[in-house]
Amino acid sequence: MGTLAATATSAGLAFAAIDYLGVVSILAYAPGATAALAILIGGFFVILVSAIFSELNGLYPSAAGIRLYLGRAVGNRTALSVTFTYMTTVVLVIAADAFLIGAAVRHVLHEPSALAYLWIVVLLAIALTANLLGVHLAGWVQTVVTYTVLAGTSVLSVIALFHVGGSFQHPLDLFGKGTFSGIQAIAFALFLYAAFEWVTTTAEEARQPRVITRALFIAPVLIWIVATLFALALSHLVNYSALHASAYPQLLLGRAALGTVGEFWMLALTVLTALNTFNGGFLVASRFIYAAARENNLPRQFAKLNINAVPWFAVTTLTVVSAVVAAVVFATGQWLLLVSVGAAIECGIYAVGSFCILRLRTRVDRKRPFRLVFGRPLAMFGAIVFSVLFLATAFADPKNSKHFSALPFSVIALLGAASTAYVRLVVPRLQRQASARAAASRPRRRPERPSSDATTAPPPGEERDA
Amino acid sequence: MAEWDELREALDDYTLSCNENARLRKMQRDWSRTLHFVCSDTEVMFTMEVDKGEITSTTEGLVGLPDIVVTTTSETFCDMFWGDLNPVQKYLRGEIIVKGSQEDVMRLDAISYVIWPDS
Repeated sequence: MGTLAATATSAGLAFAAIDYLGVVSILAYAPGATAALAILIGGFFVILVSAIFSELNGLYPSAAGIRLYLGRAVGNRTALSVTFTYMTTVVLVIAADAFLIGAAVRHVLHEPSALAYLWIVVLLAIALTANLLGVHLAGWVQTVVTYTVLAGTSVLSVIALFHVGGSFQHPLDLFGKGTFSGIQAIAFALFLYAAFEWVTTTAEEARQPRVITRALFIAPVLIWIVATLFALALSHLVNYSALHASAYPQLLLGRAALGTVGEFWMLALTVLTALNTFNGGFLVASRFIYAAARENNLPRQFAKLNINAVPWFAVTTLTVVSAVVAAVVFATGQWLLLVSVGAAIECGIYAVGSFCILRLRTRVDRKRPFRLVFGRPLAMFGAIVFSVLFLATAFADPKNSKHFSALPFSVIALLGAASTAYVRLVVPRLQRQASARAAASRPRRRPERPSSDATTAPPPGEERDA
Repeated sequence: MAEWDELREALDDYTLSCNENARLRKMQRDWSRTLHFVCSDTEVMFTMEVDKGEITSTTEGLVGLPDIVVTTTSETFCDMFWGDLNPVQKYLRGEIIVKGSQEDVMRLDAISYVIWPDS
């Protein structure tokens, strides 16, 4: 994998249909053209995140990197709890995208709103079938799709910006809606870039370690350009009152800029984002679940493979959970809650990443292909800033920017508590069962050699408890 | 540390187990790869050719352009090929390092999992 493909992977993982709604969430706190300022400041923080993950990825260039550096920094159990919580964002994004795309398709086809859920189920069923058959997007297709979505959104946004009749409002008034509004706008701006760091899970595919580092720095710039143009175009042509209650702001912009053609243009791009989300999201999450089950941290059923070497139980469970989450969102209309929860978890992960840099600088004396300059002060700064931004989004109410809401925090606390309880109570039992099973099933197969060093591995049962 | 002859013995057993497993052969029917294995503690390196799920050769030294490169200690390789350890656990601890696509990494583990479900 070269820089172009790695950058596309990073940008493609970050730029999902939910990002269009993310821009509306920013507009709730930073009205009009001010949103562009929030996205810019958010971008500066994301460059710090890029540097942090570049150093961590350089230390552990592996798909299992997050487990490795978290494990070294905070211990294996905490690492597992954090990773499980982190992975729930993948489910949230899949569910959110299924919902948003379903709503957009229904809107363009002028169907009754109840049919939106049918579209959601159809989309998830297609994704499930493709995954079970072992069908994946070829790397070059993913690259083309990502750059098409980014370029298509930018071009339509530029057309909208030159459209006669629009006007910018509230230019550069970041704290116009109160003291905290600017902080919350920046926190939501971070969400636009969220998941770009997942490109580190492809570190083993990169030709050289610096390919991932380059992608981590280039992808946020691309997202910054596209998100800024989109935010400016939205605030130029579409009234916030129309955006506020809409699950498809991109379609409203398309229609305002180019009529029906623009609407179909944006619908096509929205559907294209699904290819990346469903292809990348399902792959990352299902393979993580498979590895966790093979490590005896999840029931072994999750490691079951079908004849196409796909962990079918993991993929099916992901689909069902996504469909249930999408149904809840569909029934409650709380799609902006997903944005808040996703944004808060990402800010939390960035804070944890900063903390890992601090810990590993003292604990791991290893060659680092990329080293964050002023590492300790900047990591300390990151840990504090991202913790504040975590709180800003975890208590945000994007439906009413003048209010605070404990709902996003409650959802995250529930997810975190469930993960921690599972890791503390269930995982030890699963590991004991696996040890007993292995010890009972068969003896060690490798013949003993008297001349061999005394470094032979322990029997399989003991191996698991190491 | 395991020498080449010990690794050879493990590889022969592994090859037999893989090639005689009908379910594995069907599962890996579209998987043709060149794998390089590097022992981090000895100078030993070897190449495995897989053609449509069948291991066609395992030779000492690095031959051809690899799709996957696996690096770990010779002892871990031996235990892995005998099915005495769970490769995922070693991988998640950073003790086995793999260069290759995520799909290939999973396929590689799937081989061990299908042959030795309780390893």
